[in-house]
Amino acid sequence: MTELNAHFRGRAEFAPTTRYRLLPCRFTRLDGTRYVATNDVGEHVVMTDDQLRAFATRRLAVDSALYRSLKARHFVFDDDSLVAVDLLALKYRTRAAAIANLTGLHIFVVTLRCDHSCHYCQVSRQTEERTQFDMSREHADKALEIAFATPSPQLKIEFQGGEPLLNFDLIKYIVERATALNTGFRKNLQFVIASNLTHLSDEIIAFSKEHEVYYSTSLDGPEAIHNANRPLRGASSHAAAIAGIHRIREALGPRFISALMTTTPASLSRVTEIIDEYVAHGFRSIFLRNLSPYGFAVRTSLVRRYDVDDWIEFYKRGLGHIFELNKRGVRLREELTTIVLQKMFLPSGSHYVDLQSPAGIAIGALVYNYDGMIYASDEGRMLAEMGDKSLCLGSVDTESFESVMTNERLIGLLDDSLLESVPMCTDCAFLPYCGADPVFHQATMHDSVGHKAFSGFCSKQMAVFRHVITLLEDDPAARNILMSWI
Amino acid sequence: MLEPDVLLHEGCVALTIDLRIYRLKAIKKAAYRLAERFTAVVETPTTETVAVSLRFKPTVSEAYARESVRLYFEELMDQELREEIAEETGPLRSLILAHAFSNLDVVKRDD
Repeated sequence: MTELNAHFRGRAEFAPTTRYRLLPCRFTRLDGTRYVATNDVGEHVVMTDDQLRAFATRRLAVDSALYRSLKARHFVFDDDSLVAVDLLALKYRTRAAAIANLTGLHIFVVTLRCDHSCHYCQVSRQTEERTQFDMSREHADKALEIAFATPSPQLKIEFQGGEPLLNFDLIKYIVERATALNTGFRKNLQFVIASNLTHLSDEIIAFSKEHEVYYSTSLDGPEAIHNANRPLRGASSHAAAIAGIHRIREALGPRFISALMTTTPASLSRVTEIIDEYVAHGFRSIFLRNLSPYGFAVRTSLVRRYDVDDWIEFYKRGLGHIFELNKRGVRLREELTTIVLQKMFLPSGSHYVDLQSPAGIAIGALVYNYDGMIYASDEGRMLAEMGDKSLCLGSVDTESFESVMTNERLIGLLDDSLLESVPMCTDCAFLPYCGADPVFHQATMHDSVGHKAFSGFCSKQMAVFRHVITLLEDDPAARNILMSWI
Repeated sequence: MLEPDVLLHEGCVALTIDLRIYRLKAIKKAAYRLAERFTAVVETPTTETVAVSLRFKPTVSEAYARESVRLYFEELMDQELREEIAEETGPLRSLILAHAFSNLDVVKRDD
């Protein structure tokens, strides 16, 4: 035998083996007859009860289609596939790599003043003349110092409020100061203003164009729903938002404006109209978001007026309508579903802050409130407005990036948020797709981990995961559309 | 071992579970997962069995309790299988994670 031939093995070597070993996996019921199993890197296989037990007790025929599927997705390995451990390690490292580049998003609450009085507002908005609720330049400078100390090569500075454009002078100052600082840091710097667009002016548009400022606005649906949710004294909030959207598109380009909707009780029966409103105004995506249990939404009992089941029904009907639009050639995707699909099928998953393990608090975003206080997430400052300061990480006056990120309370919260150590989550097949959301559980259960059997967050996420996987399994047309979103 | 007829007595269902079939960890995990339906009180195990009392809210019906017991044993089967898989694959999971981060230098060094 030549040296070359020695590298080749005979046909018998490739005959199906009868022996196989299991690789780490989790399983959860998908419906009355099927289970979904996932591994640590998010690959999934759907099986019947009998198939699951045959697989787990190594009675599965190795020449079956299911075995081949399990082997291809690293649920089993045999003498012919010892590379599985190496591949799983590589994939796991790829998914976890983003954690090292921590804190790419820095939210500056430049004012609490606002001209709207939205029923679901998550912060304690202040009237337009109360300038004591504006951020000072000194605090902005110190916050920028912390923001630029992040190891992340991406640096997104987002302006929130209140209505941030009511303190546009400070936005201008921060943008110009950050741009100057970045000549030394050379980060991929981006600016976003979360605005209701009522106060857009020629000056603001020109400045935004010069500095490539992005905008995120609220669009809750057709005029009646939007204006009922977002009252604006003496004017139509919907008309202002639509005018602003088109103005930004024309001046800056379509990619510079995105919109978010919030589901209120008034929205529940009108999901198709809400989606059609997005299509009518040229949006290619919509995020069907439920209400968060913070701020005015709690004080006005809005969050108690619909439950998880109501929202899930709303979401499913909405997704069905989006599929119909896609079949008619209208390009539109749903954002929450897209995030789930990214977690299921992309090597690096999704960096969506609310679905991370460990949680995205501080790792994903830091918030600098108008008064210089630092919070581990936007929801954290909303929780503080409700009297719970458990996510407050000190003041920009005294803290540095290092002291914020090594804050003992923060590390404790992050430690608790690793799903691998959370009761129920540790055994859940949806773990690779899910997140901890300690702020939700702190707000609803006064405990950052919470008991998942009682958690509205868990119920909602499980229902979404089950629905998406069922569509992928049972509806080829829906599967084609879903796969086109990633 | 499931009693032949589930009897809701003073808001409780008494179960005796065979530890040769289900491990204690699975028994407790299954109870935790169904905590919204009942509170489980797990007694000190004997060599082969453990007594588990499922305590319901006073308003629940016999049918609800019966369905809860069915779900509990359904979940118990799943939890037991999860424990079997975890027992077999636990060392492999540790190996994969160790391998994944084996080349990672987590300590910032000054050159």
